Amino acid sequence: MGVKVTRREFVKLSAGAGAALGVGRALAGEAPPRPGWRGSQRVEQIATNCEMCFWRCGILAEVADGKVVRITGNPDHPLTHGRLCGRGNAGTELLYDPDRLKYPLLRTGKRGEGKFERITWERALDYFAKRLSELKAQYGPESVALFPHGVASAFFGTLMKAYGSPNHAEPSFAQCRGPRDVGYALTFGRDLGSPEPLDLEQAKLIVLIGSHIGENVFTSQVTAFAEALSRGAKLIVVDPRFSTSAAKADWWLPIRPGTDIALLLAWMNVLIAENGYDEEYIEKYASGFPELQAHVRGFTPEWAEAITELPAADIRETARAMAEAKPAVLLHPGRHTSWYGDDTQRARAMAILTALTGSWGRRGGIFLPTAFKTGKLSLPPFPKSQRGRADGAGTRFPFASEEQGVTNGLVDATLTGKPYPIKGWIIYGQNVLESIPQRQRTLAVMEQLDFIAVVDLMPMEQINYADLVLPEATYLERYDLPHIVTGARRPFLAVRQPAVEPLHESKPGWWIAKEMARRLGLEAYFPWKTPDEHLQALIEPMGINADLLRTRGAVAFEGRPYLEDRLPEDGPLFPTASGKIELHSSSLKEAGFDPLPRYTPVANPPIGYFRLLDGRTPLHSFARTQNNSLLDSLTAENELWINARAAHDLGLRDSQRVVLENQDGVKSLPIKLRATEGIRRDCVYMVHGFGNTSKQLRRAYGRGASDTGLMTRVQVDPIMGGTGMRVNFVRVLRGEG
Amino acid sequence: MARYAMLIDLRKCVGCQACAVACDKEWDVPLGFARTHVQPTGVVGSFPKLASGFHVAHCNQCERPSCVAACPTGATHQSPDGIVRIDRGLCIGCGYCVEACPYDARYINPVINQADKCDFCAARLQRGLQPACVATCTAHAKYFGDLEDSNGEVFRMVYERGARRLQTAQVAVGPNVYYLGKKQDVDLVFAKFPPRAPRMAASSEFWSRLLKPLVLAAVGATFLGQAVAFFYQLATGEPDHESQEKT
Repeated sequence: MGVKVTRREFVKLSAGAGAALGVGRALAGEAPPRPGWRGSQRVEQIATNCEMCFWRCGILAEVADGKVVRITGNPDHPLTHGRLCGRGNAGTELLYDPDRLKYPLLRTGKRGEGKFERITWERALDYFAKRLSELKAQYGPESVALFPHGVASAFFGTLMKAYGSPNHAEPSFAQCRGPRDVGYALTFGRDLGSPEPLDLEQAKLIVLIGSHIGENVFTSQVTAFAEALSRGAKLIVVDPRFSTSAAKADWWLPIRPGTDIALLLAWMNVLIAENGYDEEYIEKYASGFPELQAHVRGFTPEWAEAITELPAADIRETARAMAEAKPAVLLHPGRHTSWYGDDTQRARAMAILTALTGSWGRRGGIFLPTAFKTGKLSLPPFPKSQRGRADGAGTRFPFASEEQGVTNGLVDATLTGKPYPIKGWIIYGQNVLESIPQRQRTLAVMEQLDFIAVVDLMPMEQINYADLVLPEATYLERYDLPHIVTGARRPFLAVRQPAVEPLHESKPGWWIAKEMARRLGLEAYFPWKTPDEHLQALIEPMGINADLLRTRGAVAFEGRPYLEDRLPEDGPLFPTASGKIELHSSSLKEAGFDPLPRYTPVANPPIGYFRLLDGRTPLHSFARTQNNSLLDSLTAENELWINARAAHDLGLRDSQRVVLENQDGVKSLPIKLRATEGIRRDCVYMVHGFGNTSKQLRRAYGRGASDTGLMTRVQVDPIMGGTGMRVNFVRVLRGEG
Repeated sequence: MARYAMLIDLRKCVGCQACAVACDKEWDVPLGFARTHVQPTGVVGSFPKLASGFHVAHCNQCERPSCVAACPTGATHQSPDGIVRIDRGLCIGCGYCVEACPYDARYINPVINQADKCDFCAARLQRGLQPACVATCTAHAKYFGDLEDSNGEVFRMVYERGARRLQTAQVAVGPNVYYLGKKQDVDLVFAKFPPRAPRMAASSEFWSRLLKPLVLAAVGATFLGQAVAFFYQLATGEPDHESQEKT
């Protein structure tokens, strides 16, 4: 079955194929040039996609004299249309960062000491293969675990599966999107993925719960959000902090942290009690409404007021705004959602509310994905592990994704040796000391491992614990698998291709994984010589011109994002067990969890302490970008938001430096105080990713404070293993630093 | 003749600073300096009745530019399209214009020891491109256009949607940057970032009279040098970028 290409795309692609390029040349060689200018400098533009974060916007890397002189947005990209955030614009500074990892390193000192010997790739890869073979012989293949993050993760995932280990886990699940994706999949039969399939453009009412669009920048999401506001869409922002979004809101609800489920239940109560929900939609598509109705009857706005500290009148008014705007109500599902350990249930509550407003698969709500057919490489079957996964996905955490895994589950297993010993870690593109909470525990585990290999771009602190450090090429220097997005108005495929040769002795992720596989006798799992061949296999049945695809960077297809557009080939509307939206979840009930979400009480901070909240800033991605000279020059450190009156009561002044100490006596590096009316008195807030402890990152070292360092406690979500991290309390110490 | 203007929709701007980074990369602005930057107003009011926003700042290409008056050499001048430009051959880096600008939109670039500022990406305009900040803006909050073009988007936004300019009775220099948004949001930004009185060096007019003829003489000499370089280029066949067709 072929793919549906829109007429315009078809004309463009086939005109290119027929005219300039010749059909026979289709997949060989270089992309046709794309000339451009930077100031008075002539440049060649290479269309690829960004990896300063994982939204993967379309970019043009502009090359002159063998150097990337500038990166700009790719106007031909179907999602981002030429727009690009500050980080994307600053990608050149990652490529040319003098602190980059430059050649393979072998540890010579003690773990953590940071003493290395520079070695050749040949020696490094042989050593890697030797150690992995030894571990397999002694402890079985499951004793090696992979911690990947990033676009080339797929290659290392294949390597691990071929080696025989089911143990791999990305922080994007248990520390980020996991609770949300599980909660929505339990309700609608589908998760949301990334980029989130949100029809912001057509929303009449946008509801953000903790999402701080603007400080959290994903380019196309910001564009659509701003366009919606400009068109007159209303905005409800639920956030203990007066965020950039809150300043644009029609209703800002400064909720007591951790009580969101109470608010969501009260909203459902009003929608049902006042008949403001989409009755026809629920009737047609949903199951379990009578149970839901009975469940929320007692959860009145007055009940919620006592818990959330939001006036009942505001709760009622905002619920009525949803009733009025339905079905064009865009309740943002969130992205970083591992907050309090009851996060899957909060996501369930949000999914149910989305169903009540009839917004799933409707204009101004959530898009349905449109799959398109791509080619496939045929790989030999992977060996089946006798011992199963060690991270608890599917067992201890029954609803965890076995595709993404539970990082903290792997740390637990390594620490305890249960269900079986884990002796080796391969870390690819993930900064395990910053991405996984309870840093002290991770460090202790790393001390006791037999073997650690790190493949990365930058010398994050973790390299000091590694036996082997392998320098990867940046996204501007390598091929990767194409970006395939189905959850968009127009689904698309976008290519990743190098603008320049890898600098120093760095190597692309695909090459590293393939070479490792070759040395382990697993080359059959990498049945391609170059990634180009791989791309060819993927797009072969799609009938698109590869040269033109490389020049333009992406190709888009017609989508069927709304319920009314769906064709039989799209499969069931709601691929749940019942084929309906499951307001009441029998899957959860059978596994011993609440089939309908309940509010679980949260503790107030002890006297003198504040709840620690974290978030994002537009110019940095996690702990990855702080050493970027341009981004550092604009945002060099994070600040501690504290309520102005609370600061005054503590005798603290705006802008002074303070040190934080958490409930377990762990202290932060000094951080600058932002005394502001824009946050509640019971919490403080800082941007994640600062307080870097790696001296090899000469710019980032010691700037600001690390929120992760203060997260010595977590509340684990029993449904899927996510680590609720907003359960830590800090007090503010002055005069130190 | 065109009259170029920029418009910033504060309802849309989220303060992400993509504009500032794109500008830095377009013009090789040294770290720590800026041709355009984003300034937060900070949170004002009392919890929970609060407001905050962002000021997107760059040269306003004023109709009555104080920098032009302050420039002792004539390097800073106004083009017929309204853009205030700096002639790289004439600027001596004295910094009078930096003091004179009521918006603090200029800086002395330490790499070239000359004044520098936004010129609406004049070089990009010549190639039919939008200014770098406008093209990259994640919120699609910046608009660029010609106020003489009554069919243009910017014309309509300025004259039909009531965009406002950041100036005061004391500093009425006719900026060509306009702001749109909810009244209270624009009011907040305007209140937080009012233009200051231009600081004109007491003797700048004197210097101006003295220096301009001297500089013109110097330029004559420089021109000879450039002519030599030009003929050299012709002889060696080095491409003249400016004369190539735009892409």
